[in-house]
Amino acid sequence: MIRLDGVTKSYMTLSGRKFVFRDLSLDIPEGVNVGLIGRNGAGKSTLMRLLSAVDLPDSGKIITRGRISWPVGLRGGMQKNLTARDNVKFVCRILGVRRSRMQEKIRYVEEFADIGEWFDQPVSTYSSGMVARVAFGTSMAFDFDYYLIDEVMAVGDATFRRKSRQVFNERLKKSKVILVSHNMDLIRNMCDAVVYLDGGRATVYNDVHKGIAAYKKAGGEP
Amino acid sequence: MPQTSTRTRSHFQIQRDVIYALLLRELSSRFGKTRGGFIWVLVEPLAHLMFPVFIRGFIRQGLMPGVEFPIFIVYGILPFLLFKAICLQIVDGVNSGQGILSYRQVLLMDVFIAKALAHFVIQAIVFPIVLIGLAMFGYDVLPVRPVELAGVIFLTVMLAFGLGLLFAAITSLMPDARAIIKVMFMPLYFMSGILFPVTRFPDAWVQWMALNPVLHLVELSRVMAIEQYKPIKYLSIEYPVALALTTTVIGLMLYRMRYLARVTR
Repeated sequence: MIRLDGVTKSYMTLSGRKFVFRDLSLDIPEGVNVGLIGRNGAGKSTLMRLLSAVDLPDSGKIITRGRISWPVGLRGGMQKNLTARDNVKFVCRILGVRRSRMQEKIRYVEEFADIGEWFDQPVSTYSSGMVARVAFGTSMAFDFDYYLIDEVMAVGDATFRRKSRQVFNERLKKSKVILVSHNMDLIRNMCDAVVYLDGGRATVYNDVHKGIAAYKKAGGEP
Repeated sequence: MPQTSTRTRSHFQIQRDVIYALLLRELSSRFGKTRGGFIWVLVEPLAHLMFPVFIRGFIRQGLMPGVEFPIFIVYGILPFLLFKAICLQIVDGVNSGQGILSYRQVLLMDVFIAKALAHFVIQAIVFPIVLIGLAMFGYDVLPVRPVELAGVIFLTVMLAFGLGLLFAAITSLMPDARAIIKVMFMPLYFMSGILFPVTRFPDAWVQWMALNPVLHLVELSRVMAIEQYKPIKYLSIEYPVALALTTTVIGLMLYRMRYLARVTR
């Protein structure tokens, strides 16, 4: 269950305080994959930040039950002067995963990322593709009830993309996804419901096509 | 596919796990930054020690009866470096923690606590090494009141933490203030009587200099460590304690009111 209850969120800008949401209440549809759509600046990313608890609302509550991932493929969370192995260990520790289960997770990410000896080199020496592989592998190593995905997952070469897609589809049998994307084909393919954001308001469509139609009618890109 | 158990942790357990993870991350990234990273951690206090000792070697002037110069320096820079490191790390923590806060288990306060602990641990490793080095040169390094000295170190950590939170709140509201806070630390080295006893100054000056809480920490540290040390007459333990308590309380309140988190984003 993910519910927003009277959430207000603003940011300070050079020209004063700008409100993204004022007193927004919303139930994210349960048990289905949800797409967040809306024009640039409609608050999709802000909503994602609130859901992942990176950012806190000015007022109001966000009530969640179940395990929610960090934004899948998060790269900023990696400490650049540590190795991939140490970074995975760090994630294990904050999630309370220890000893043999920690070793299991490390092995999983090592195999998934498939970057050979680089796994034990500092992340700062990696190519961007290698960072993405480790980051995505780390997200896939743990079970979540909801995976948060901002923008497309298309990273790395064709083989890696195929593998990611395969692993992710496997995950989706048990877990649900909350996806932000401007790619309507992706939304149609992956999602069962849509939350359409516009002017600080959120409308839930349990029919993806209707949601996309509303977005297009309001002038969103095709 | 590895399975994660669904056991739930209490808030306290999560915070403990997170602080432990952050502490290890902080320490290993500091010690492993470059090849021989550990050597570089030792270089800072050694440089602080060697420079004045080297200069003084040419002057050969009596300092205070019964007080050896390197010991005087060491017990002065101990609280000073600890204070400076923790304070500045917390101010920077507001930003350096940005990526890491994407993990929902990690709170900004955990980052602050881990940073303060990490610097405490580093000094707890580095200073005994420096003291052992001085002992090998025949200096009498052992503090005369070790328990009280530990208390002064604890007070230093608290004051640095409280002031760090206040400064972090200020830089959150006004990002440009960061530069001013950094600049403030430069005269602090001279204002805190690291190189020579401030008792050499005219009394009217010392009265004003006693407003600087770090001077009290430095003097207290030396009083606890060195038998014949004569501190300034305005030395007070109540002043830094009261300041540590008030800044920590105000800092925590500002944190609670989210002044530290809101604006950096």
